[in-house]
Amino acid sequence: MTCRDLIDVLDDYLDGRLERDEVAALERHLAECEACRAYLATYRKTRSLGARAGRVEMPDEMKTRLRRFLRERVG
Amino acid sequence: MPHGVIDSPAMTSDEQLLLSRAAAGDAGALEGLMGRYSARVYRLAYGITRNQADAEEIVQDVFLQLVLKGAGFEGRSAVGSWIYRVTTNVALNKRRGKRREVETPLDDCLPTFKADGHREGPRALLVADWSQRPDAELLSGEARQILDEAIDRLPEHYRAVLILRDVEELSNEEVADIVGDSVSAVKTRLHRARMALRELLTRRLGAEAR
Ligand SMILES: [Zn+2]
Repeated sequence: MTCRDLIDVLDDYLDGRLERDEVAALERHLAECEACRAYLATYRKTRSLGARAGRVEMPDEMKTRLRRFLRERVG
Repeated sequence: MPHGVIDSPAMTSDEQLLLSRAAAGDAGALEGLMGRYSARVYRLAYGITRNQADAEEIVQDVFLQLVLKGAGFEGRSAVGSWIYRVTTNVALNKRRGKRREVETPLDDCLPTFKADGHREGPRALLVADWSQRPDAELLSGEARQILDEAIDRLPEHYRAVLILRDVEELSNEEVADIVGDSVSAVKTRLHRARMALRELLTRRLGAEAR
């Protein structure tokens, strides 16, 4: 397995969707490739950071305006 | 594994009731619908547009459509996926023609390889690993600004699949259904978005990591 092959299947690896022999090949490559170890670690971190950054909450004033907006137009 | 919010069982009669009461202007029912759906509509609308004023207009538009559609839904899962689909479409349309200059062509942010398939580039960058920095630190201060700028630079249809998958925790299949693309196209787009984001973060955070 090359770095390119590894990066191609990274999502499937992290989601547990690879076959057992593919996982073994990927982990053999990881054991000897520092760049891919760093890639995997930072890719996984990027995924979780993006998810956390995306959990924004609608501001309360916006909820109030939405409520008013709907009441004015419906019924 | 994502839990697939929209794969709920068929609509309960209480959902049907809520929708028809809301259509008739019942304040409590409107409140119930907001309680159920406004958080996800806002997250997705803001996540795609990255702009509060745009997100607010989208939330209003989507809720008005939802209420006017009233009891026309056949199941709770139909409401759930309808909400995501309409929000995505409205948000992408709003951004059309407003595309900011800061958006980076993604190709510049994807990993490059030598002919033999191994990574190419400055070694310090290739092995830079900032993943041990605590989330609390990365989600605040200067690092947070770097993260926000990196997210801003993604094209909006990439941000759409990222939010649906990673924030809303839908499956690839559900995301494909919502954005009207094949599962493999969605997987490719997600992977490219994450690679680009990782690259932008590593260029800014990686130097400090070693
Ligand atoms: Zn490698």
